[in-house]
Amino acid sequence: MTADILDIVMFAVACAVLLSGFPVAFTLGGVALLFGLIGLSLGVFDFGFLNALPSRIFGTMTNETLVAVPLFVFMGTMLERSKVAEELLESMGHLFGSIRGGLGFSVTIVGALLAASTGIVGATVVTMGLLSLPTMLRRGYDIPLATGSIAAAGTLGQIIPPSIVLVLLGDVLSNAYQKAQLEQGIFTPDTMSVGDLFAGALIPGLMLVALYILYQVYRAVVHPASSPAMPPDETLDRTALYKQTLQALVPPVILIVAVLGSILGGIATPTEAAGVGAVGALLLAGYRQAGTKLPVIAATGSLISILLLTGIFDLRIARSDIGTMGIVQILVALGFAAGIAWGIAVSTYRLIKSSVLAEVVQSTARTSSMVFVILIGAAMFSLVFRGLGGDETVQSFLLHDTSSLMGQIFGPLAPVVIVMAVMFILGFFLDFIEITFVVVPLVAPVLLAMGFDPVWLGVMMAINLQTSFLTPPFGFALFYLRGVAPDAVRTVQIYRGVIPFVLIQIVALIIIARFPSIATWLPEVIFG
Amino acid sequence: MSALTKIADRIDVFSDRTGRIVAWGALIMVLVQFTVVLLRYVFGLSSVWMQESIIYLHGLLFMLVAGYTLLGDGHVRVDIFYREASARYKATVDLLGTLLFLWPVCGLIAYTSWPYVAISWKVLEGSRETSGIPGVFLLKTAILAFAFIVALQGLSTFLRSLHTLRTGETPLPSPSASEKV
Repeated sequence: MTADILDIVMFAVACAVLLSGFPVAFTLGGVALLFGLIGLSLGVFDFGFLNALPSRIFGTMTNETLVAVPLFVFMGTMLERSKVAEELLESMGHLFGSIRGGLGFSVTIVGALLAASTGIVGATVVTMGLLSLPTMLRRGYDIPLATGSIAAAGTLGQIIPPSIVLVLLGDVLSNAYQKAQLEQGIFTPDTMSVGDLFAGALIPGLMLVALYILYQVYRAVVHPASSPAMPPDETLDRTALYKQTLQALVPPVILIVAVLGSILGGIATPTEAAGVGAVGALLLAGYRQAGTKLPVIAATGSLISILLLTGIFDLRIARSDIGTMGIVQILVALGFAAGIAWGIAVSTYRLIKSSVLAEVVQSTARTSSMVFVILIGAAMFSLVFRGLGGDETVQSFLLHDTSSLMGQIFGPLAPVVIVMAVMFILGFFLDFIEITFVVVPLVAPVLLAMGFDPVWLGVMMAINLQTSFLTPPFGFALFYLRGVAPDAVRTVQIYRGVIPFVLIQIVALIIIARFPSIATWLPEVIFG
Repeated sequence: MSALTKIADRIDVFSDRTGRIVAWGALIMVLVQFTVVLLRYVFGLSSVWMQESIIYLHGLLFMLVAGYTLLGDGHVRVDIFYREASARYKATVDLLGTLLFLWPVCGLIAYTSWPYVAISWKVLEGSRETSGIPGVFLLKTAILAFAFIVALQGLSTFLRSLHTLRTGETPLPSPSASEKV
């Protein structure tokens, strides 16, 4: 009897022990080991399950999809250093500030732009908390509205591609999708890639932006005092303002177009696009350093030229029919490549000298390690959970007769509703990484075997995980905001401020559940 | 300053130095990945060696900086209670956590990986691709290195926690906490 429920007890104990505050990765692994030994002594666990551990770890080390994670983190951290966010906030604030509710809109729009370029929640929330929050408070904004807007805008980085959540979730789901199909006897399974998930999350992400702004408009109309307009600044020259806005917009927009465009255009894999984006961020940061701008401008010019050249001519070196013109074209392209290399070298040198680069690589390495060590801990956890028969438990839980209450209310969607509810509740305590690595691999194969669309499911999960950043007490966006908000802002106000936005998230989930094509349409159009 | 914290300091210096050095792998990854893209999409060239070197860097990066990350308290905690708790509570959690979770996990990884890595060494396992990097056995060895590095940094945590519990002091030279995703 006790042996039967050992898997459930293990899950409960892990959740309880995690609250002690010891690092998640080792707690998950340690609890798993403990229960593995208990199971072994009760004769219900085969230690052989744990022999799969080294190959699981090695699989993580050599997983090409996951390589995108450090590259995107590098790109985001580097962009953060190049003060893109500050410039955007300042110019957008001036642009929208003179309309009622305008500061709130500017926060949401900048959040969306940063989400599509850097995708780092902490950095976005901190920057906005430092720059926008004081302005909003000074103008007499309703405090919960201001803090809620900032926290919510910051989390857009998790849902608008490129995002780390989508990379990790895409990897886990594509494995689950394969597994689900193989178990159904489909030996030439359909695949789902991170690119599909990026494409699928784009429209839902923009929909969230629209919903946030809609709410802000509603507040501005119904409670005008909650979001007053800034007095129009007489000294500010409109043309100069437009120019400033345009200048602030250029770098992130170019990067967004280059990175997202190449992924959604089906040209590059997310990993490749991340590499290009990271170099773009490096050049941009190098440009902002002291010294002549020429090398970076030359590199950017060369990059554009080489792309045009590639579009027009066949520059492949390893072909037999290169004529004289072909050689000339290739030599020109090599010249441009040298130009790019020069810009990168100069940027790198400057960033090393100012020690920015050292901080960026250290931060990238730490974040990368943090993510993947949790993956190792979660792998141990799921190996033991499976060994204790957890798969069957999850399956019977989700397949629970449809005549039950849940089944009657939600019909065939009941299992998804249950999973979403569990993830939502776990999101109050756990971080998206743990949920992605521990919960998703357990439930996704079952759900996918029922015929739910993997991209749709992934987008639903991603929005749910994004919400976990907003739900107190363990919402990262709230932590970061608390860290930088002035003392006049009480923590309760921050908590109260996110409630409407959490409700918006739930509304978005319902909309996408009702109209799945919001998520599935774009990937179908692009990737067929 | 007791003998215990002196050992912990030594370990911290080791983790810090290796971490700072290995971290540069992130830059190399970026540059190599960019080069691969440029060569492939513009000049139609591809190199298994370069492609694999990115994977190697990725794997080595997060495995070998795990101790450095632990030193900087960069591994995520569910810190609802931990964050506001007393130094004594924190030290107790870290001491027991290291003893009951971290070390056993490292031990299990080392125990299960030993034969896995040994087999790889025996045949000097290379790449599955003919022109790949012939160093899979070295990459696999990083799993053992990971277990060792993390266990070692765990010892530092353990000793510092012990010191705190004994004396009530908190001698944690906590470098800036890791930034979050």
